Amino acid sequence: MADEFIKGLSALVIGGLGWMTVAGWYKTPSFEGAQLTGEAPPAETLTVYDQVALFMGDAFFWFAIIGALTFWLLIPLVEEGRQVWAERSS
Amino acid sequence: MSDNDTNDDVRTDGSGTGIVAPDDETPTWRERKERTEGLARLTYEYFERSRREDQDLRQQSDYVERDVLAFPAWPHEMMRNLALTSFFVGMILFLSAALPPEMPHPANANQTPAIILPDWYLYWSFGLLKLQTLNPEISLLGGQKLMSDRMYGVIANVVVVGFVAIVPFLNKGSARRPVEQPFWAAVGMTGVVFSLTIAALSVQNLIPMGSDLLLDLSFLFPIVCGVITYAALRTMREGYMFNLNRRYYRLRPPK
Repeated sequence: MADEFIKGLSALVIGGLGWMTVAGWYKTPSFEGAQLTGEAPPAETLTVYDQVALFMGDAFFWFAIIGALTFWLLIPLVEEGRQVWAERSS
Repeated sequence: MSDNDTNDDVRTDGSGTGIVAPDDETPTWRERKERTEGLARLTYEYFERSRREDQDLRQQSDYVERDVLAFPAWPHEMMRNLALTSFFVGMILFLSAALPPEMPHPANANQTPAIILPDWYLYWSFGLLKLQTLNPEISLLGGQKLMSDRMYGVIANVVVVGFVAIVPFLNKGSARRPVEQPFWAAVGMTGVVFSLTIAALSVQNLIPMGSDLLLDLSFLFPIVCGVITYAALRTMREGYMFNLNRRYYRLRPPK
């Protein structure tokens, strides 16, 4: 149980930090206005490294959400379900 | 009682204090529930049995039981503190390297900024200065106000700080958890929410809401939160585990 918690927390922290970094680089046009959720620069100005970074930002974002959901909800639910199934069949 | 009761071995022959039933005489849960001695006895037996099992496990293991109340500072506590410290220091280093803060223009001392606000932890006091719509116009004075709006705001600060100051004299706070005293927990929740809503009132230009509605909500929403807190805590208090724990703590015999 504690293992699942720390795995989910690690996914949330690593994904969140990675997403926040990339979003701070590319999606924060200025201090005033939208921060971390602003407009990305136009696609024709992006180099290959910029495109890789933007892709990694999206990957970090979904890793944080899906990782936390997996370890905190999905796996415990599956284990509870298996326990109930085992008790019912025995 | 057996004749060799000078040693402290665990007796399983049915003698002893009678608190814990031997394994072969342990009643089933259905039998326990059908007993008429009440929940108190059942609770006490349950916790006493778990305590004895715990004691047996400790005596069987080779763990050296020391007469201490906590873990030693070295290495147990220090390792945990180092792990937490490394995590936060690493996060600070990472963020300051990856996301250096933007340096805006230097402050112009010759120009008053458009928005003047105190530090965020003083927003509640700043919001109390904006209660001029609550300052009554006394008809005896011909529709004039008894005191100026500035004075009214300062008095509001005195009233709020005064109430916070007398709360420890109204209730000395012997409860260990909110569920034990739902009313005072509700009072505290009202105060916490009121400090947030009055802070929101102080920055009413930034809140996407009409100022009249915001003023009403900043006084009504804390009361609603307090009522919800009281209802929830009273419901929890009538729950099963609260009575169980309270009986356990009351019934536990002294050493």
